[in-house]
Amino acid sequence: MGFMIESVKLYYNEIVALMENVGATIGIYMSNPLELAEFYTLIVRWIFPVLSVLILFRCILPLLRDGGPNHIWGFLETKEGYRIPLKHWENSIGRSRLSDIVINLPFISRSHAVLSYGENGWTVTDLGSKGGVEVNGEKPDQSRPVDAGDIISFAGAEFLFLAAEDGCETIEPKGKLNWLINHGSSFNNIKTLLLILAFQFLGGIQIYLTCIGEGTHLSIPLPFGLYILAECIYYFFLCRFSRKYMELELLIFSLCGLNLLVVAAVYPDHLMKQSIAIILGMIVYTAVQVIIKDLGRGRKFKYIIVVCALILILMNLTIGEYRFGAKNWIDLGFITFQPMEFVKFAFVLAGTATLNKLLTTRNLTAFIGFSGTCIGALIIIRDLGTSVVFFTAFLVIAFMRSGDIRTIALISSGAALGAFAVISFLPYIATRFQAWGHVWEYADTIGYQQTRTLIAAASGGLLGVGGGKGYLVGIPASDTDLVFGILCEEWGLIVALTALMSIIFLSFLVLFLMRGCKSSFYAISACGAASIFMIQTALNVFGSIDLLPLTGVTLPFISNGGSSMVVCWALLAFIKSADERQRPEREVIEEGMVE
Amino acid sequence: MKILTKRAFALFILSLLLVSGLIVFIISYINNASDWVQHATNKHLYKNGQLQTTGKIYDRNGEVLLQTVNGVQKYNDNEIVRKAVMHAVGDSYGNVVTSAQVAFGDRLSGWDMVNGAYRFNAQRYKPGSDMTLTLDAEICSAAYKALNGRKGTIGVYNYKTGEILCMVSSPSFDPEKRPDIEGNPDKYEGAYINRLLSAAYTPGSVFKLVTAAAAIDMIDNIDGKVYQCEGEKIIDGDKVTCPSAHGNVTLKQALAQSCNVAFAEISLELGGNALQKYADIAGFNTSLKVDGILTAIGKTEVSDATGGDLAWAGIGQYNDTANPLTFMTYVGSIANDGVCVSPKIVKDRGGILSLMPDFGSKDRRIISEETALILRDMMRNNVIEVYGERNYNGLKLCAKSGTAEVGGDQKPHAWFAGFMDRDDCPLAFVVILENGGSGSKSAGPAAGIVLKKAADRMMLQ
Repeated sequence: MGFMIESVKLYYNEIVALMENVGATIGIYMSNPLELAEFYTLIVRWIFPVLSVLILFRCILPLLRDGGPNHIWGFLETKEGYRIPLKHWENSIGRSRLSDIVINLPFISRSHAVLSYGENGWTVTDLGSKGGVEVNGEKPDQSRPVDAGDIISFAGAEFLFLAAEDGCETIEPKGKLNWLINHGSSFNNIKTLLLILAFQFLGGIQIYLTCIGEGTHLSIPLPFGLYILAECIYYFFLCRFSRKYMELELLIFSLCGLNLLVVAAVYPDHLMKQSIAIILGMIVYTAVQVIIKDLGRGRKFKYIIVVCALILILMNLTIGEYRFGAKNWIDLGFITFQPMEFVKFAFVLAGTATLNKLLTTRNLTAFIGFSGTCIGALIIIRDLGTSVVFFTAFLVIAFMRSGDIRTIALISSGAALGAFAVISFLPYIATRFQAWGHVWEYADTIGYQQTRTLIAAASGGLLGVGGGKGYLVGIPASDTDLVFGILCEEWGLIVALTALMSIIFLSFLVLFLMRGCKSSFYAISACGAASIFMIQTALNVFGSIDLLPLTGVTLPFISNGGSSMVVCWALLAFIKSADERQRPEREVIEEGMVE
Repeated sequence: MKILTKRAFALFILSLLLVSGLIVFIISYINNASDWVQHATNKHLYKNGQLQTTGKIYDRNGEVLLQTVNGVQKYNDNEIVRKAVMHAVGDSYGNVVTSAQVAFGDRLSGWDMVNGAYRFNAQRYKPGSDMTLTLDAEICSAAYKALNGRKGTIGVYNYKTGEILCMVSSPSFDPEKRPDIEGNPDKYEGAYINRLLSAAYTPGSVFKLVTAAAAIDMIDNIDGKVYQCEGEKIIDGDKVTCPSAHGNVTLKQALAQSCNVAFAEISLELGGNALQKYADIAGFNTSLKVDGILTAIGKTEVSDATGGDLAWAGIGQYNDTANPLTFMTYVGSIANDGVCVSPKIVKDRGGILSLMPDFGSKDRRIISEETALILRDMMRNNVIEVYGERNYNGLKLCAKSGTAEVGGDQKPHAWFAGFMDRDDCPLAFVVILENGGSGSKSAGPAAGIVLKKAADRMMLQ
């Protein structure tokens, strides 16, 4: 008993001290109620990476189903009654392995003819073959229309041409990696949309709570609300009127959400303008899709747009204004914009051609002329980053059109020499190259933006410090050129990398869709658009983290900027148009499951 | 469309370039993010170029070695402790590159890869995380006093757990009252260098432990062999000398008497390649990693040496150099039955890491158990026969001294390395006094003082 008392005495003082400590701690909490924003950030910073990875997977997997051709537009029937399906609007015929319809007979040329569908129905075009093409015994000059029931003879090999019933027949394509992709088919895209909206809603609140008290009460929630509303309306519009997959739009919705979160952190005042730009982008996106759905209309549209682009270039050269060292803005009083952004769209469109044109003329002069004009104008207005974007897109499109590696190599080496000359003669470009790879040695001078981006990226860690809590926002051009740094710092490396993967995925999607494209018009435009996205992403991200010289181009869909946003949506329309697949109806899936 | 599908390869190359660039960035992020974040312009961690706050650094007993009070760095209250652990903790200007403040700066500033610089409620709670070193401030103080202003270093570590208890390098200075170091180049020669980690000295006779290990393994019937020492021996025109003629000696006696002639003969018998192999195993020619801090490399290059060069190399002269910490680890492995335990300086690894097994430290056998036992007996014999058991009463000391000739008119470096063969006190040590003269006479007593203190401290806990 005595021992007990002794030990109680021994611990008495310690217990009292402990109680006092606990009391004091509670007292501190009571007297300084914790800010709501602090607690909010503590929790949601774990949610954003999870949401972004989930959204990425839920959008990517369904889009990788059913690759390859999935419509049959007509048939060529042999005398024996065997039917060769025409799976595209443009089918090349020849002995070459790369023809869509391979006829392995010695008197057939390697590239013999093209059978294409256009505004005037089906046409057969002779590609200057030795054996020639005859329709119902007549030899056309170069091309002539064919109707169902006509006999087409390729150097004596005769086929009966038949159009598919109801215009086209749907076929079930076989894709690779089905075990993974079929899993994606069970994803419900309304749930994906809800995840995206949740990200934007929680993110908007995060920024709002952080910036509260800085006099920005309505300027943040209102644009977010508007954008979320637009997303919902667009989604239901798609459900009602489109039978295509919707995951591409959903993926871009999530990127545009990040764009608003970045703008909200850097320039809350620009938020309304930016969400209007996104909505405008959606409208342009839909309009372009409708216009180029018809190839004839698409071709007319191409000439109108190219003329508009030339006018824009001319305007830029005359009434353009200098901002950040480049004369790439036009101020019309009621609106300011970057004309060269819009020229990108025209550039891709100018590069397109249908397969029969492509294989008969092989003429790139007009396209090279237009490209030269664009790139020349860009060098004059000192926007070298964008000229690199144009040049890369030019290489991709020119290669798609000609397939001639030697010409492309010649052009590239010429351009490399030109670039070398430009770099040596223009001192402000030379300084950028001087900093490249050594930014830490020039941390406060010419490597200022890059080092700050790296510091910000490292400070964010995997989860980020929370939206609106970064310091990179104070650095010039942080909302455009260094936007990757803001994503890393405020939202974490995981969110930033998933955003980049979403953009990179666009390119893999285009490659995936290539086989099933109806027309080379869509194939080339989709490749051109994707290559612009890729090169812009590379220049923007790698420029800001010192893997490439800093050139000042925007990150597609994420950088602040109205012109850039609208044009990105317009370019996306090319990718969307290359996608011919129809989403499986839910009823069909459910029936299948019952069986 | 097939032809266009093929030509779309250009786009594929473009996207692959983008992907590979991203992979390069991710690798560079993993390797360098902790450096990037420490840039003085990072407003998450610094205000007006000053680190807002760092975590505290504790010694193993919870003694505060460094903390930040109101934006000012405050070191331990005791001046001797401040000087003794200066090289381990570092000064406020990052001059000691192997110090905790530099090597673990990212962690002290509160940064980690997952959370970045984020801290919940930074206004109220200190950002930055604390860390505990394996050092014992009192043992370090005792070592600093034992060095008594002489240039050199004392290290003590637990050869079973790898924890470094004492890491003192002299000359040192008080980081709170920085003296004029640049103005006194003689007094503060290499004051920013932690000699235990970053120096490499001629080892002299302590190297005979390496030669002896090779001899035990490689020479048949080494127990029965007798070497004749007449005070000197000419090998290919080079003269190897002993202070006096030792007469007929066995390996055990040769080690105790530190007989150069006997070890010269043994080295010749072993040959350059065998000696090189055993030196490499003992940690020469490689850098040791102490919680990510790299030590200096001690060198032994004898594979091509013959004659006099080989003989001198076998007794720790020629062009041999040894890093003190690496050599301490070698004698520690003799104590630990031949198993080498990587030394470490951080006691708590902090955060999620502490829950995971430590993959960084690997115990590896470098000497066979039998050889280690024989070497231990011989080192124990050294103390009993030569260094005097009464000087190291109760320590059960096993040791080897070294008096390394450094050429010119300079006095030789004094080495004393060994361990306590006690299960309750498994400590290995190394003492080096630059130009300190005889190993056993000058470095030995310093080791005795520190080890007695260390044994007392260990018994106390």
